[in-house]
Amino acid sequence: MNLVRELDRILRGEATRIENLRDGEIRIPVVGICTAIFILGFVYGFCMSFFSIVNRDGFEWPMLVAPVVKVPLLFMLTLLVTFPSLYVFNALVGSRLSLLSLFRLIIASLAVMLMVLASFGPITSFFSFSTESYSFMILLNVVLFAIAGILGLMFLLQTLHRLTVAPIVEELRRTAPPPATDTSETPSDEGIPMAPPQREPSSIDALPSHPMSSKVKAVVRIWIVIFGFVGAQMAWLMRPFVGAPGMEFTWFRPRGGNFFEAVWNNLVHFLN
Amino acid sequence: MGTAPLDIIRAEHGLPTRRDMTRLLSTIVLGGLIYGAVMGAFSGIGPDNLRQILFSAVKVPLLLLVTFALCLPSYFVLNTLFGLRDDFAQALRALITAQAGITILLCALAPYTAFWYINFEHYRLAILFNGLIFAIASLSAQLILVRLYRPLIRNHPRHRMMLGFWLVQYVAVGIQMGWVLRPFIGSPEIPTEFFREDSWTNAYVAISEMIMRTLAGN
Repeated sequence: MNLVRELDRILRGEATRIENLRDGEIRIPVVGICTAIFILGFVYGFCMSFFSIVNRDGFEWPMLVAPVVKVPLLFMLTLLVTFPSLYVFNALVGSRLSLLSLFRLIIASLAVMLMVLASFGPITSFFSFSTESYSFMILLNVVLFAIAGILGLMFLLQTLHRLTVAPIVEELRRTAPPPATDTSETPSDEGIPMAPPQREPSSIDALPSHPMSSKVKAVVRIWIVIFGFVGAQMAWLMRPFVGAPGMEFTWFRPRGGNFFEAVWNNLVHFLN
Repeated sequence: MGTAPLDIIRAEHGLPTRRDMTRLLSTIVLGGLIYGAVMGAFSGIGPDNLRQILFSAVKVPLLLLVTFALCLPSYFVLNTLFGLRDDFAQALRALITAQAGITILLCALAPYTAFWYINFEHYRLAILFNGLIFAIASLSAQLILVRLYRPLIRNHPRHRMMLGFWLVQYVAVGIQMGWVLRPFIGSPEIPTEFFREDSWTNAYVAISEMIMRTLAGN
């Protein structure tokens, strides 16, 4: 269960603590985490595919395989489209990251997204079993994917920032041995029993000691919006995920239309 | 803390320990069984209606526990991601205690349901009345939850956000679960079954249809 432990390290933020990023890299087993990403995508895709299996007459294997493959691919392709711009613009505002450490960062972020998504699996499968409304399933999945995407992005952005500042922190530590910071961090013994203990910031918290500059924040905000748009449209391009009960199974549908129009139509359809 | 029903309701001894868990779980099951049985007694307590009483009795703890189980994985992952893993065991105990609290409150309110059934024979009104009782019980149980979460929130304010997320998620799944597990009361005209014929439909679709129909004036 080594893989589970590694995933847990990422989720708990252990892998992205500033002292673990000193050499400018997240230390994760890349192959193992990639495998885990596909397994988690499998889990969620499986939960998703219940809807078309329950609501269609015949069962075909591709109905099961398609969402399983598509779920991790959706996140991966979205990052592929949007990441180069983030990388370059991040360099523009002062980062010195190597391409390899960037790749590891992407993998870790994907793992976070898919862990969150897969944890919603039980809820999705429950609704898939107990719903015959196609529109509802689409809307539910849009919401859950959005939650997973947003949390994964928060992780990515915080870690990107930490990777950028880690060498600086290390430099500071080496040039000035820190007796002062050490004493300030020891909790006082006579303190009130309920005093909040010193906590490590979680993997998606901002570092209190090194806040992002306003320039970095601006870049990051714009990029989040773009990521959202690309991801949404990517999902549209790769549809069907859920599979309309009345239609034959296809791997892909013809191009045309856009995500937001479709979500709107589903919302209107659902409310009518 | 003590696990006597009123200790659970008062929730003043702080969080339950691990050893209290069995007691709490059996409280949920037992309390749910009792209220469910009362709920199912709408058409009388004679041998004809025994099956409905039995089904309803089983369904109430099922509703609470299965909904709880479905919501747990995402709650765990999000707590971990937000850096609250160390408190998760405590948070979980607080949630289970609140569940036990709901069933105790339901039992305390059960006489009203029985009294209502004796007075009014209208099926729709019986549904509405039970909805009201469930709403009162679950809203009141929030007091327990808030009380038990207070030390956690003091420890880390983010627990408040997670609690909000839990409630949204739990209610959203719980509504559908309640819909799927119908009938709880059992219409006197329809023969008793565990699930309705159209059980596996969507509560939200049904609700929005109902609203639309009302708005359209039909």
